[in-house]
Amino acid sequence: MKNNRIRNVLKGLSFTSAMFIFQACYGTPQDFGYDRLVEGQVTSETTGLPIKGIKVSVAGDNSYYVTTDDEGKFLMYSEKFENLVVGFEDIDGAENGSFRDLFKTVEDISESVYLEIALKDKL
Amino acid sequence: MISLKKYAFRQFKKIETRAHELNYLFWECTTRCNLNCIHCGSDCAKDSTFNDMPLNDFLKAIDTIEGKAPNFTIVFTGGEPLLRNDLEQCGKELRRRGFRWSMVSNGHLYNNERHYSLLNAGMGALTISLDGLEASHNWMRNNSNSFQKVLNAIELAASSKRLNFDVVTCVNQKNINELRQIKDLLLAKNVKAWRLFTIIPIGRAANNPDLQLTDKQFVELMDFIAEQRKSKDIDVKFSCEGYVGKYESLVRDSSFFCRAGINIGSVLIDGSISACPNIDRSFAQGNIYTDNFYEVWQNKFQPFRNRNWTKTGQCKSCREYKDCQGNGFHNWHGNKQNVLVCHHQKIEKGSA
Repeated sequence: MKNNRIRNVLKGLSFTSAMFIFQACYGTPQDFGYDRLVEGQVTSETTGLPIKGIKVSVAGDNSYYVTTDDEGKFLMYSEKFENLVVGFEDIDGAENGSFRDLFKTVEDISESVYLEIALKDKL
Repeated sequence: MISLKKYAFRQFKKIETRAHELNYLFWECTTRCNLNCIHCGSDCAKDSTFNDMPLNDFLKAIDTIEGKAPNFTIVFTGGEPLLRNDLEQCGKELRRRGFRWSMVSNGHLYNNERHYSLLNAGMGALTISLDGLEASHNWMRNNSNSFQKVLNAIELAASSKRLNFDVVTCVNQKNINELRQIKDLLLAKNVKAWRLFTIIPIGRAANNPDLQLTDKQFVELMDFIAEQRKSKDIDVKFSCEGYVGKYESLVRDSSFFCRAGINIGSVLIDGSISACPNIDRSFAQGNIYTDNFYEVWQNKFQPFRNRNWTKTGQCKSCREYKDCQGNGFHNWHGNKQNVLVCHHQKIEKGSA
């Protein structure tokens, strides 16, 4: 604690900005952490079983997407902003069953969020 | 009498060195490359004799790290990291362990699909090399399509709000007169940060005079950066490759401090534990296949943390030594009897 105080005083006296973060010669800038982890599982509301092949995306930007695995699980990093809308869409036809799309608004703005999603059967 | 600012910075460096907190780790995950540049920071080759390092080998090494520093960044470097098809898996595993990660790339394979899959896997920072306008960039890359490909990559990367992205340029005889046009090009592509390097005469660059700047040109480069930093339309800076005397406060955000082995470590392709990958490989401090990575970081690295051994050759009697401390560590190669490049001397001679 004391060492940190001395370090910060010296940093200030040498006009090294408190915000200054170094980068190595041939390296990258440091990651400022502007993203967040969105993960979870998609199941069928009717059977409770996991659904494979559901497209999980950040609504409004189809570029960011992953598909659920055999256990219906997904994991992706998205931009960090409030009221993130995550879309769940059945894009593989009848292959893993037919389900209605769902869009979930995530109000939680913490570093990571776990979503348990139950999709209704397509009528 | 030295200024309070200089004195405080010297003391600050001592405290940082004593603490030697590891928070920036290069992973030379491959030495394969899809290009055959005239100059290469790592001197890699298309026909690399090394296999890519398996992810699990690297994970075992970093799992030894205790009390991980906040914002610890792991930098994928090569070779060309994008030649690995498991980068996304590597990235996700690192994030799962609480590390942030980033990548240095030549941009040749950086397309729309890869851009989003890497972002989805938690990539937070990226550096892409652009070494001139079309003719000079392609000359350096030995590839007639490279310029167009790298421009596409730059556009993609610059479009992401969450990516801390910069472009680096190695300044040489072919592009020194293009710097203003390169800057305009980067501004048009919405790039926010640009880092400029010179090329030290090692590896393939050792015998190519087109790659080295004269002393006068080096001063021109310093003046160019100092002037461009006033306009603030793009964050231009000189890299941390060396001590630049009177230009220190004009070309960077902070005074020169080579943090190799102090905050910066690396795991190289053969498992060697060192600092920046462009440092002479004889400085390796251990190997992840035989040593505990974090024990090596904590207990070795003496040549990096006490640089008195660099008081030799022209550094021995230099009045700037206390602020320079032997220049960037990568400037000590071969028999290590003299510094390879003295930026301060180049400025003195080039300003005369």
